[in-house]
Amino acid sequence: MIRFATGKIASSLVTVLGASIIAFIVMRVLPGSPVRLIVGALASQAEVNNTQRALGLDQSVPVQYWDYISNFVRGDWGFSYSVGEPVRSLLATRFPASLELGCCAFLFAFGGAIVLAILSLTSAWVERFVRSFAFLGLGTPVFWLALILLVVFSQSLHLLPGPEGRLSLNVQPPPKITGFYTIDSLVTGRFGTLWNAIEHLILPALCLAFAPFSFLVRLLRSNLLDVTREPFMAVARSKGVSRSLVILRHGLPNAFLPTLTASALVFAELLAGSVLVETVFDWPGVGALVVQSLENKDYVVMQTFILLSAIVYVTVNLIVDLLYGAIDPRIRLARGTPP
Amino acid sequence: MSSLDAMDMTRGITTDTAVAPLASDESVPSGRHWLWRLARYPALTGGLVIFIVLGLLAAFGPLVWKGDTSSVNLLSSLLPPSLAHPMGTDEFGRDVLARFLIGARISLLVGLAVSGFGALIGGAIGVVAGGLDGWRQGVIMRMMDAVLAFPPLILAMSVTVALGVGIVTGSIGVLVGSVPWYARVVRSEVVRLRNTPFVEASKALGASRRRIYLHHIVPGVLPTLVIQAAAAFGYSILALAALGFVGLGAQIPTPEWGAMISDGLQYTLTGQWWIDVFPGLGLLLAATSANLIADGLRNMLDPRGVYARV
Repeated sequence: MIRFATGKIASSLVTVLGASIIAFIVMRVLPGSPVRLIVGALASQAEVNNTQRALGLDQSVPVQYWDYISNFVRGDWGFSYSVGEPVRSLLATRFPASLELGCCAFLFAFGGAIVLAILSLTSAWVERFVRSFAFLGLGTPVFWLALILLVVFSQSLHLLPGPEGRLSLNVQPPPKITGFYTIDSLVTGRFGTLWNAIEHLILPALCLAFAPFSFLVRLLRSNLLDVTREPFMAVARSKGVSRSLVILRHGLPNAFLPTLTASALVFAELLAGSVLVETVFDWPGVGALVVQSLENKDYVVMQTFILLSAIVYVTVNLIVDLLYGAIDPRIRLARGTPP
Repeated sequence: MSSLDAMDMTRGITTDTAVAPLASDESVPSGRHWLWRLARYPALTGGLVIFIVLGLLAAFGPLVWKGDTSSVNLLSSLLPPSLAHPMGTDEFGRDVLARFLIGARISLLVGLAVSGFGALIGGAIGVVAGGLDGWRQGVIMRMMDAVLAFPPLILAMSVTVALGVGIVTGSIGVLVGSVPWYARVVRSEVVRLRNTPFVEASKALGASRRRIYLHHIVPGVLPTLVIQAAAAFGYSILALAALGFVGLGAQIPTPEWGAMISDGLQYTLTGQWWIDVFPGLGLLLAATSANLIADGLRNMLDPRGVYARV
């Protein structure tokens, strides 16, 4: 296990290093002049030179890269000119909102996938419906889905709130313990706030969850079908275990394991989707921050965001790989895996 | 082929669309057109039909329905769908149907370009990497892994920002994110093919490396590449629309579907639903038909294969 783990960790570090080089190339080397982006098109040449020297952009490329990396590792992630705050504190403020939305979407995606995958085993009609529904999910633009849901549920039916963000305008946020409005209001007994927060979470989380859900339900369905054909299922049935118990106790755990590796991909979907969904719902998260700063031509946030998302994605992949190796001995003992 | 492979082929295949026996000539009686083979794959046929309809709309639509897509006519702004404007008008009085048709052109062309070039570049990298051995292959695949470390949309956004916003740079951004998928899938195919008996036999017969590649490896890789390209096609349409939605892809006044949705955002929520619903439906139809075609092709050509998610 140790050997497996060190191998995985080492290759993750190499990947992160490569990703940092790519992030550096994309954000620093490619643009014609990043300085121009900061000082604007009307600034004088002297201003450009000064800013260039101040930002260290007149150094050679390897030195710039070293500065970029050492700054990043130290936590100096730059200053956002459009918002007027250091990027690091800005991200820290907005992160809990995105995390809460992401967790909720993750629960919806996985929960929905499990329920519908099991249901699709019951009848052919249900199976066909689930399959078509999931297929649509792969082709639906998530920002458009957000709009449709808003128009239907908020405007026409008045069931759920519109794109107001995390809480209605007249509701105070609960005292900050975890940063999650749901948990914080539950823990401090503010049930009105809790309900309000949940109401605001439902639509954006559903939108965010739709694409991962579609992917997961297909995967789970196909795994469940594979597992139900295994001999041990027939043995359990012949011993008298009821059909539902057999699926729940024997089928589902075995079918679930490959979806663990899929959860890393789900995470990437959630990251990317949050950029779009948060914009539509006016959700004060990291994704909306990225879009806003892009509109203001403030690229410092983007620089940090891509490297950060790459690091987090690689870390999630690493954790999932290690977990999978820990659970399934065949994975960690496989020799000569291709590079 | 070994007996294990034969067993694999006859085992049940758990793909999602209707499973059909591997396409072989015996399924089409001699004398019948090969198109009849499509009848066994209803999903694929459906996808193709939708796609062809969209393609025709994109190609000939703007020639048939001549609406003004750029000039402002505030007297007829925000009109609901009617006979004169089947998809209504937007806030500047522009006919939504005319913009929709041009948006179809943009989306389909970009999708084709991105998946085509991606397949070409990624496939080439994959073939080269698969042909190398040892550390050289490792280096190339590590570079691909580094690109894969970024969530694709985020990478596309940053490349677009870096190169200057627009449709072309947006397409390049999406392309960069999709190349590693092709490279991975093609590389493993090449490695598999290199170890097959017929390649071994060719080598034993003295075939040059070039001949082996041109005659055996590359044709063997093509079905995989085509399927991956079809899957990526749907994804790249949605990705470019997402870029347009956040303002990084197509710029005003280009009627790209994603940008149209973003423009109409405020109006949709106050009742003028037609500005956003139609472009979104267009995206949904385009991406879903591409996915149907990809799934159908996969069932037809290579049901056993392992494909990257994009």
